[in-house]
Amino acid sequence: MRSTRCAALALAVTSALGLAACGSGKGDGGGEAALALPGVAEYLAAPCPEVGTKPATDKEFTYWSMWTADEPQGKVLAKAIKCFTEKTGVKVDVQWLGRKLLTQNVAPALNTDTVPDLFDQDISQVKAAVVAPGGTQPVEDVLDYKIGEGDKRVRDVIAPSSYDIPQNKGADGKIFEIPYELLGNAWWYNKDLIKDLQPPRTMDDLFALFDKAKADGMAAVSQDGDINFYNAYFFTQLAARYVGAGGLEKAAQDKTGQAWKADPGPLKAAELVERLAKGGYFIDGWDAAKFPQIQQRWADGDAAFLFVGSWGPSETREYLSKQGGTKGVAYGSFQFPQPEGATHRVVEQLPIGFAVTAKAKHPEAAKAFIAYMLNKDILSGIPAVADNLTPRADLAVPDSLKDVKAALESDAEHAIFMDGLDALAAGKWVDNVFYPLNNDLLKGKITAGQFIDGLAAKQAEFWKTTA
Amino acid sequence: MPGSTDVGGRASGAHLVRKKRLFFPFFLPAVTLYVVFLVVPTLATVALGFTSWAGAGDTPEFTGFANYVELLSSDAFRYSFLNTLLYIVAGGVGTFLLAFLFTMVLRDMRGGKLIRAILFFPNIVAPVALGMFFSIVLIYRPNRQGLANHLLESVGLDAVKFLQAENVTWVVTGCLIWASSGFYITILMAAVDRIPPYLYEDADIAGATPWQKFRHVTLPLTWDVIGVAGVLWTIGAVKIFELVFVLAGPGTYSPPIRAWTLGVYVFDRSFGTQGTPEYGMACAAAVVMILLVSVLVVLLRRLMRRDTIQF
Repeated sequence: MRSTRCAALALAVTSALGLAACGSGKGDGGGEAALALPGVAEYLAAPCPEVGTKPATDKEFTYWSMWTADEPQGKVLAKAIKCFTEKTGVKVDVQWLGRKLLTQNVAPALNTDTVPDLFDQDISQVKAAVVAPGGTQPVEDVLDYKIGEGDKRVRDVIAPSSYDIPQNKGADGKIFEIPYELLGNAWWYNKDLIKDLQPPRTMDDLFALFDKAKADGMAAVSQDGDINFYNAYFFTQLAARYVGAGGLEKAAQDKTGQAWKADPGPLKAAELVERLAKGGYFIDGWDAAKFPQIQQRWADGDAAFLFVGSWGPSETREYLSKQGGTKGVAYGSFQFPQPEGATHRVVEQLPIGFAVTAKAKHPEAAKAFIAYMLNKDILSGIPAVADNLTPRADLAVPDSLKDVKAALESDAEHAIFMDGLDALAAGKWVDNVFYPLNNDLLKGKITAGQFIDGLAAKQAEFWKTTA
Repeated sequence: MPGSTDVGGRASGAHLVRKKRLFFPFFLPAVTLYVVFLVVPTLATVALGFTSWAGAGDTPEFTGFANYVELLSSDAFRYSFLNTLLYIVAGGVGTFLLAFLFTMVLRDMRGGKLIRAILFFPNIVAPVALGMFFSIVLIYRPNRQGLANHLLESVGLDAVKFLQAENVTWVVTGCLIWASSGFYITILMAAVDRIPPYLYEDADIAGATPWQKFRHVTLPLTWDVIGVAGVLWTIGAVKIFELVFVLAGPGTYSPPIRAWTLGVYVFDRSFGTQGTPEYGMACAAAVVMILLVSVLVVLLRRLMRRDTIQF
């Protein structure tokens, strides 16, 4: 599901590019062009870097892509493919299938022998849809492939926190994806509207920021309330800091549901969400709109803060450029502060990467291509063209993403978005147990205590009948 | 002429033989297509409803009634079932009331044919597009309201949060009635046009009101058509999907389960999952849809059963 966000985000950048010629005024505080990214044309026109690991025998491979050819990531990958063919003579048969490729293309193809050699998507979805039925092969060997920068190997340039995690390992304990893009999330604000903001250190600081925004005549928080998992971030972000990375997923799998009550952390997190809900901080109409209307109201300056993923700037930049203005948002961001009594420092991430199918006919060429993608002259297109982060720390990123990059590269515990709750029981757990209660909590209809009691009760009922 | 009947007999016999010879060439292709594309998939759906199958290189595993047990205890399915019933009943009542109202006035209205054509327009638009259209019209956004709230505010009323989870089912019902009544008006008006005008002239001479004309002329003489229209509505309403998907949720992901219909449920289990599809569950839900529509259609036929009036 979050893949579609990337779609929107990717589209965002595309249109920003299209409009760049008409007006690319500089933002006041951001330092980067407000409505377009610099350096896109340079990247696409740059010469191809050398290939570090060449396939010995394979002369072709098939790649099914989660992107479409005309979106920014598609353009970056198209360049990588063109360069790879130019340098190795290996022909790449690429199909631009878009975000739904796992359930609509890859999984059904596993019934046949006509599978792609290479495909991509975020690790949560790949694990649930393709790794679980045994459709992939380990890619651990790729970590030692050279990437075309002297002796540098894949493992020398990408952060272990982006791949060496339980969520990226199959039943055999081996990794199944090599990531090339990283999603993070943050509280976003406009530096032009909220000057000299100091990132909040406590939850009281955060609420003080909200109160100040209200006193200044703005709504405090924009929130597209029709997206269930956007509504979920508040609780999961806070609760993960009490129970640690993986703690929420563990609690959700408890057949009795009592795990939510055994630890006082989830209740404390829910109390903070209740305070957010009942404090009147959300913008009027947040629960009666269609995504992305409410985040657009944030971009318009109707609200002070917005909590979404690292795709926030590109999506809102697209909106503003379509409005015909020349001035964008001077993006600033910060992470959730550590709530009182919480002992785990946690940052949420979602790696997107390449996987190789178990039945692949040309795994060698596919794996060589993965390594080539991580070459800095190729991978730099992900920040430069697609306005996204990568698992490589040494690539320049747009100003708007610097804070998120720093958070992802910190030594905090790395959790997957929502701690992977949305993939439990193929999404049925969140749909039946979590989302209805969480939406009620966020709308102030129930208290934190009722939320936790409800979770425990509904979950016990749920696991009785669900395999 | 002697023997002529004999010749005639032979001729009709030969005709019969030829007719018989032609029977299978006409019959088989149709039946084959029907069996291959409808009967077999339906039977497969029923069979798969008793299995757990991800459709990703695995073989369906027989699980008996496990899917149905899970359906019955699932909140998502309960909401889906009840909402579908609500759309069939409330949407049906609304649509047919509106359709009857129009049959009362359209017959002797000037420009009735043009209005009929205009009323049919929503039917040629894809429901997804209608959903997108309504989601723009119904926006709640202080200071920059959508059309509906703008109108409300301009006459001094408060704006309404149409798309709030609590209201959205009724909003979808309203949109559904708006979108489908044109189709049923067209069907009913075709039946009304068959009614000899002198019956209405008689009624006029007797001083009948439009309601009396409807009650004593139109309704009895279009009863069989209304029955068929009711069946068509039921079959169509069981499948309601796009409007709900687009209006009740963000459009890209499934809406909250409180707004689901059976159609959304089947889609979500097939293509909306976070992991591999659950085709077994989707098939079980589809079987429930088949049962629901069968029961409702039989009930409706019973309810509408009358002697046909010849005229």
